[in-house]
Amino acid sequence: MFFKNYRTIIFVGAIFTAALILLSYSLKYDSGTSFVKKLVLEAAAPVQKMLNASIEGVSKAWTRYIHLVELEKDNRILKNRIAGLQTELILYKEGYLEAQRLQKLLSLQNDYHHSPIAARVIGREQAALSKTLWINKGSAHGLKSGMPVIVPPGLIGRLTDVSWHSSKVLLLIDENSNVDVLIQRTRVHGIVRGAGSRGCVVRYVSKIQDVKEGDVIMTSGMSNIFPKGLLIGKVSHVDPMDVGLFLKIQIAPLVDFTTLEEVLVLVADQQEIFAEKKTTK
Amino acid sequence: MIYYLLLPFVTIGLVVFQSMLADVLFSGWLTLELSLVAVIYAGFRLDLMKGIILSFMMGFMFDGVSGSILGLFTVIYLLIFIFSFFVSSRIASGKFYLIALFSLICSLVESLILISLYHFVFEFDMLNNVLLVFVPQALLISVLSVGFFYVMRKVEGLMYGKTMRPPQRTGTGRISAEA
Repeated sequence: MFFKNYRTIIFVGAIFTAALILLSYSLKYDSGTSFVKKLVLEAAAPVQKMLNASIEGVSKAWTRYIHLVELEKDNRILKNRIAGLQTELILYKEGYLEAQRLQKLLSLQNDYHHSPIAARVIGREQAALSKTLWINKGSAHGLKSGMPVIVPPGLIGRLTDVSWHSSKVLLLIDENSNVDVLIQRTRVHGIVRGAGSRGCVVRYVSKIQDVKEGDVIMTSGMSNIFPKGLLIGKVSHVDPMDVGLFLKIQIAPLVDFTTLEEVLVLVADQQEIFAEKKTTK
Repeated sequence: MIYYLLLPFVTIGLVVFQSMLADVLFSGWLTLELSLVAVIYAGFRLDLMKGIILSFMMGFMFDGVSGSILGLFTVIYLLIFIFSFFVSSRIASGKFYLIALFSLICSLVESLILISLYHFVFEFDMLNNVLLVFVPQALLISVLSVGFFYVMRKVEGLMYGKTMRPPQRTGTGRISAEA
């Protein structure tokens, strides 16, 4: 009867007593890992293993996610760096190409008895009737109308209009352009005239002359405008023509006129000009 | 009966889970003592028999898994359970701010017992850990308790059809040992 009435209290008291005995025993005889503890650990091990696997999975996924976020950030930074480096590379490439072009121009300078003045192409007029270039040098730099303009490997035209700080270059392919030339192999003279997009043609070469495709055409130096030996182009086609006294010779210029960026204007040396004037007199 | 059969597995699972979670989240700095929150909950919501067994089991498992002195947390959890059980008639478990406050006090009491025991028995001074470990842990437990009580209320609602009424001084509304 007594036990039934105070069952709960007795049970609570027993539990408390058990806990206290356990604690007292552990404090007094602390033997490291006791049997009871071993039992608990043994029971906890599979649970721990199972939970560990799942938590580790989540943890790994989280770490991977963080890693991916970092990767994305790195990727963005690297992409920006690549863009910057590409821009830099383009600039260097541009500088390298310009240097190469200028080197060619400089190597050409020594070949003629003229003082070359380098100029940059600032505009081009490639209309049907007019094939000209604008350069950024003018009379202020010593340029005068009629001066020859060259680009490796040869002549491209001459100055026609010269202002203080810019000039107009009449290209060889302009139909108004006429240059006294000779064929290198046979030393035959002719006049090169512009033919627009077809390049140039050589006129006034007699039918009896020996002209072949591939013959090199160069300036003859007969006029006072162009020095002798400037390359112009190669013969691309020879037509004997049924009617007429002359051959119809087409030449392909050695220069691509659409890609010109820098040119050299040949300024005749003062002494030479003086000598020429003296001879004329 | 099923409660008593499942209890060892649930307690060991909870204790292992909380220690692993604490390891992942705090790298051993704090203990995520869900077991203490469960004991407080038992004090509020379970009858004396069920609660005392749960507290005993929880403390025992925690002692076993955490590597502390066997019986230390068993006694502490039993004391906290009894404390919660008697306080539960004064505090409604639906008022979460009171639960948070009570859990904070319980956690501090637990820390106090630990500090005293280590001081008097092992002459080991743990006072320098008060601000760094015990206070943050108490705050963490008070926050956790709110969540735990909320979730358990929902679970009770699912299991019994409706949430059990807050216990009155008479003890009605508790989940009895026969349930």
